[in-house]
Amino acid sequence: MENENIQNEEMHLDDAARVRVLSPGMMVFKRFIRNKLAIVGIVIIVFMFLFSFVGGLLIPYSQSQVFYTTDSILKDYAGATAIDQYQVYQADGATLPSDIYSKTLIASATGKYVFETRDGSLLGLGNVGDGVYRIFSVEEVNKLLKKNAAYDEAVAADKNFFEDTDGTTYVFQDEGQAFPTVYKATEIGVAAMKSFTPFNKDESLSFEFYRGALVASADGESSFEADGKKYAVDGDVITLDGADVALVSDVNFNAANAGVFISPDYKETAMAAIDAGQDSFTFPDEDGTEVEYRIENKNGQYTFRRFQETRVIDTYAAPSAQHWVGTDANGMDLLARLMYGGRISLLIGFVVIFIEVFIGMIIGGVAGFFGGWVDNLLMRIVDIVYCIPTMPLYLILGSIMDYYQASATTRIYMLCVIMAVIGWVGIARIVRGQILSLREQEFMVAAEATGISTYRRIFKHLIPNVVPQLIVFASMGLGDVILAEATLSFLGLGIKYPAASWGSIINAVNDSYVMSNYVFVWLPAGLFILLTVLAFNFIGDGLRDAFDPKMKR
Amino acid sequence: MSTENMNTNAQENVSSSENILEVRNLKKYFPIKGGFFGGVTGQVKAVDDVSFSIKRGTTMGLVGESGCGKSTTGRTILRLLEKTEGDIIFDGKDVSTLDKKGLRDLRTKMQIIFQDPYSSLSPRLPIGEIIGEAVREHGLVPDNEYDDYISKIMKECGLQEYHKDRYPHEFSGGQRQRICIARALALKPEFVVCDEPVSALDVSIQAQIINLLKQLQEDRGLTYLFISHDLSVVEHISDTIGVMYLGNLVETGNTEDIFAKPLHPYTQALFSAIPMPDPDIKKDRILLQGDIPSPANPPAGCKFHTRCSKCMEKCKTIVPQPKDMGNGHVVCCHLYDEE
Repeated sequence: MENENIQNEEMHLDDAARVRVLSPGMMVFKRFIRNKLAIVGIVIIVFMFLFSFVGGLLIPYSQSQVFYTTDSILKDYAGATAIDQYQVYQADGATLPSDIYSKTLIASATGKYVFETRDGSLLGLGNVGDGVYRIFSVEEVNKLLKKNAAYDEAVAADKNFFEDTDGTTYVFQDEGQAFPTVYKATEIGVAAMKSFTPFNKDESLSFEFYRGALVASADGESSFEADGKKYAVDGDVITLDGADVALVSDVNFNAANAGVFISPDYKETAMAAIDAGQDSFTFPDEDGTEVEYRIENKNGQYTFRRFQETRVIDTYAAPSAQHWVGTDANGMDLLARLMYGGRISLLIGFVVIFIEVFIGMIIGGVAGFFGGWVDNLLMRIVDIVYCIPTMPLYLILGSIMDYYQASATTRIYMLCVIMAVIGWVGIARIVRGQILSLREQEFMVAAEATGISTYRRIFKHLIPNVVPQLIVFASMGLGDVILAEATLSFLGLGIKYPAASWGSIINAVNDSYVMSNYVFVWLPAGLFILLTVLAFNFIGDGLRDAFDPKMKR
Repeated sequence: MSTENMNTNAQENVSSSENILEVRNLKKYFPIKGGFFGGVTGQVKAVDDVSFSIKRGTTMGLVGESGCGKSTTGRTILRLLEKTEGDIIFDGKDVSTLDKKGLRDLRTKMQIIFQDPYSSLSPRLPIGEIIGEAVREHGLVPDNEYDDYISKIMKECGLQEYHKDRYPHEFSGGQRQRICIARALALKPEFVVCDEPVSALDVSIQAQIINLLKQLQEDRGLTYLFISHDLSVVEHISDTIGVMYLGNLVETGNTEDIFAKPLHPYTQALFSAIPMPDPDIKKDRILLQGDIPSPANPPAGCKFHTRCSKCMEKCKTIVPQPKDMGNGHVVCCHLYDEE
């Protein structure tokens, strides 16, 4: 009977029976999804997450992969310098002192052909003429020069050495005495301001060849004999049986790259072009294609440059099929960097907010619930943390991390910790205020009056009523954290190369040239930051309105 | 009312069997903190030397204007506030000396219903949980009977069983007050402090709630301390009435006696303000002059002398003592001094 009555009552009296029961959480959710801006925010955030976390998995590139491209650029091929110091060719089995070059230069200038080198050995130069000197190791001897035909001949030929009839070579030094000092000489080398280039790059030339060629050119002879072969001198070219053996020139050629052989033909062509005053010439390369070389003259130093296919880092490449957003200053794919950077930006946002909420809730909750001196102490700590000027602190910590050369991951962890340690105070204040006001609400008094334990009072009655404000604050705070991270990374204090974050991508725009010419480098990252922060604010607003519909407008 | 004279053990034992609650010389002062170091610079004497007793199964109405200490008295009895001085004897035990466990047991015997049904329900808990939470906490019913027990309580308080899963925001004020009553009664209390339980409700709902309270009192033999500033409601529900002014109980007695012949000038003024539903009845209203004085700095002598129309010279210096005018009708006023 009684049951039936109640059934009837339910049917017609109380229309509330037909209304679906909605928990406060469901009501909030319903109100939230009716908010268009909040939905826009959610869509943006979901996109950002998919883009960063899923996109990062899909994209074939890594964030720090450097891309190269081939480009035809003007590169140094060879350099030519007029030889202005003596080239010394060493005799087989002899060793020349290291200061032979300077000593030779001094001796040739002063005419004092016998000198002592730094290691104490006595050397003498035999002046062949035309800047060619034979180098002898000498020792002073007493020798009568009178009626010595070889000596007379040498004096007549304006030479300071002669070969005596017994085959011994003597060097004499006239220092104003009646008779010059005579030295017995053993040949150890030859010096001249000339260089030799063999036509066959595998052939090495012998000392005897060098000496023969140099002496012949100094004496103006058209042939010489060395190693039992008779070489002919044809201008600068030395031939053997009509075949070119070597080129003698007073210009020294150096290849720009190691291992490149500068052929005598090339030298001849280049010298001819220089002599003719041309600023470029062509010469066939190994394949026979004519390549244009440009001549640059810098104070007698000639540089020959040519266009060369080179592998270069693909910097600031415009968006293309391969790189959808282009590449940055380091030749890294911007799309990949945006994705990986988004991971870090979003992750830092969430981690920091999580730590902030955790610390803030505990400190604020304890302060609010227990009150009294605990509240006083904790709130003064909060005040002190509030007073810390954040930007200088970030700058200092950033430079400390630079000093210790912290790795990219360490920097990320440290950044999270630092930002959270500074940011929790706002949440602590909000939680404390909320709990202070809730504590005085009659439902808390009622809970106490019904003898419910302190633990249940805090976790079943207080915390669920603080959570809405916390969620709102956290979602708004997320935007701030992402902005702060971007700011720090932009200033070069946060995430550093090669790790990427949206802020550090924008960091590339530190000169106006990049800003005006490579918009694709910084615009996407900037837009992403803007959209994400905006979206978190939309969501925060939406949540606030959903939690507290009375506050709306 | 048991006066301070009733101090012998024998009398106490007799009274405790008959009286469920005895309050003796209860004082509750709130410190006023001030100054640079936060020292106590003064005290708000919210309840200043109040004594009364309530017989088992009866209702005592506590009336007075706002801020006179009615609610503070109620909450101090429940030990939601710690008393400053005096004794609160509940069921023969001094409430203020109870340890943690004793206090926990006390919570099931004494309950309170609050004035505001909106703020006294946690917005994030379903009704079943609000009502049953403390029942489970105290283990009052076995687990297998728990659901039936909650349903039974809800039905008794005029709620439907399907309300269990709903949240407070889905209920009207009257329904919420029923939930509050159900929450209090679920603990099977013997004594309930009703702290203005109907003043936030409109008149038709007030009647429902009052009748519900009376019905429950009959069914369960409850004792109420009914705090209100609405004299008509108090007259309807109370067996005895206490009139409070500025922390003092100025007059107590049976409802009929007090309504028939209010003795204290303040009670007279209060009763003259009851609106009558008949416009032809002409009434001599006693209008009180001035505001209620601050309880932080109450007047000397009789605290009512600043506003009393019959103020005498000695009222300003001498504190009037309670006098029994017969049939337990006690008044504190110099008008009735026997000199």
